[in-house]
Amino acid sequence: MSIEAFFRDRRIPLQSFDMKPYDLRAWFLVLPALVIVTFVGILPLIAVTNYSFQDLFSLNNPYWVGVDWYRNIVTSERFYASLGRSFLFSAIVLSIQVPLGIGIALLLQRSSQVIVSTVLVLITVPLVVPWNMIPVIWLNFINPNAGLAGKMLAWLGIGFDYKFNALHTWIVLVVMDTWHWLGLVVVLAYAGISSIPAAYYQAAAIDAASQWQVFRFIQLPKMKTVLSMAVLLRFMDSFMIYIEAFRINAGGPDSATAFLSLDLGEEILSFNYGPSAARSIVYFLIVLTVAWTFKAAMSAGATATAPTEEPIT
Amino acid sequence: MKSSPSWGRIALFAVIGVFILVPLAQTIITSFVSTLPRAGIAEGHFSLVNYQNILHSTALKDSIVNSIIYVVLNVALCLGVGLPAAYAFARYSFAGDRQLFFLLLVFRITPTVVLSLPIFVLFAQIGLANTPVGIALVHCVFNIPISIWILEGFISAVPREFDETAFLDGHSLPSFFFRHLVPAIAPGIGVAAFFCFIFSWVEVVLARILTTTGGKPITMAINGLFGFRTDFGLVMAMTVLAVVPGIAMIYFVRNHLAKGFVIRT
Repeated sequence: MSIEAFFRDRRIPLQSFDMKPYDLRAWFLVLPALVIVTFVGILPLIAVTNYSFQDLFSLNNPYWVGVDWYRNIVTSERFYASLGRSFLFSAIVLSIQVPLGIGIALLLQRSSQVIVSTVLVLITVPLVVPWNMIPVIWLNFINPNAGLAGKMLAWLGIGFDYKFNALHTWIVLVVMDTWHWLGLVVVLAYAGISSIPAAYYQAAAIDAASQWQVFRFIQLPKMKTVLSMAVLLRFMDSFMIYIEAFRINAGGPDSATAFLSLDLGEEILSFNYGPSAARSIVYFLIVLTVAWTFKAAMSAGATATAPTEEPIT
Repeated sequence: MKSSPSWGRIALFAVIGVFILVPLAQTIITSFVSTLPRAGIAEGHFSLVNYQNILHSTALKDSIVNSIIYVVLNVALCLGVGLPAAYAFARYSFAGDRQLFFLLLVFRITPTVVLSLPIFVLFAQIGLANTPVGIALVHCVFNIPISIWILEGFISAVPREFDETAFLDGHSLPSFFFRHLVPAIAPGIGVAAFFCFIFSWVEVVLARILTTTGGKPITMAINGLFGFRTDFGLVMAMTVLAVVPGIAMIYFVRNHLAKGFVIRT
């Protein structure tokens, strides 16, 4: 049996195994996409870089200030405090949503099609709620006078106060973010699991592999690409959480939930062009670092796991 | 690996269902309650008054139209430029392809608040502020990468012999695209359209900064409802309307939802 036929029979895309022809004319096909991305992504970035070195009382009277705005940011304690809070928030969110999402996807994988469809539809509903409405829904829900959760907590005698108790604000934000985004992790994890050919499980059954071994040596490696995508998306979105956190408590109490984006949003809304441009660039550099680390980790992982990619049948 | 249903698993799914649905249920209930004192309706009782008020408000009805215009335009744009690009990535290697892929990744994860200031200035200068067209264009920055990734995954799953046969039959590239490739990856196009739709529909930072005076989408119209005496019933009724199209989309792609999202770097 030829290697191509082998992979085709197992519905493994050939694409990843053979070389794609080299053809520079492919640029014509990506050009329209590139033009739009340049217009709405690259040009604004160039403009914002330009602003970040200037004092712009109005856009017509620029005054060159060099790296002053940057110096202000990297020497301010407020920046590092916000950075720390954003990292902590992302860490909590990831450590809850990723295991939970994988767990649900594993359970789905053993369920019938009807249950899979129902759960997937249900769990993705919060994804289609506009972001400014998510805090409104939750504030309504935890309202002690009218909200179901608020009344429940009051009935249980729990003095829940998300306005003035920092821990309670954090709990609301984490629970709300999990409600909002769990569906994305489940969909991605389930996509990874359902791409595993049945032959892998049959081979595992012949070897009398335990459930843990099946997870550790078959499911987890096969889920790796989509899972890392889920981690990347969840990390970035939680790290830069803005509207949701702002609406719940505007960074309070006492700046306990002042994340990176809230500082930037505040400056943009007060039309401090120069400082907010510098802050945008600093944040963009963080994004760039994260994306690069992700890419490096993915290519390293691809090389390292290359031998195990071979079919075990 | 399909086994008989276990009650523990069903119970767990039920708990998740409750967690997801209860906050929404309260929103739906509030949307059917009159939350401000009105002549003829007891406050706090069941009523359709909120939905009737939407029908009577030009601003709210316009916002629904604006939202639909920009989201349809955005999905059409992203699929239109995403499909050829995805084909290029799936079938060819070319100078700079990896760098371009990385660039798309970076723009997908760049928080919109980072780009909002220059986009506001740029779009105001060229007359794209306060129009649904402006929002549709701006949302391409995170949706074009999404559409390219998803479509690339689906195109890669089609064997290359499929293309070669069509070309041998005398099809040109455009003719092959519309007569063979698009039907072959129809579920993928559905999934890509779905993800472009939701990410554009729910985005509010760029939508807000671009529609300070006009062209407001649903999200911004809802923001405008908050004031000294907020009619929460009306807010919740608008929220319910804002979620309905998304739920319809989920229902249409439910069987393909989990298939297309495999991203290579």
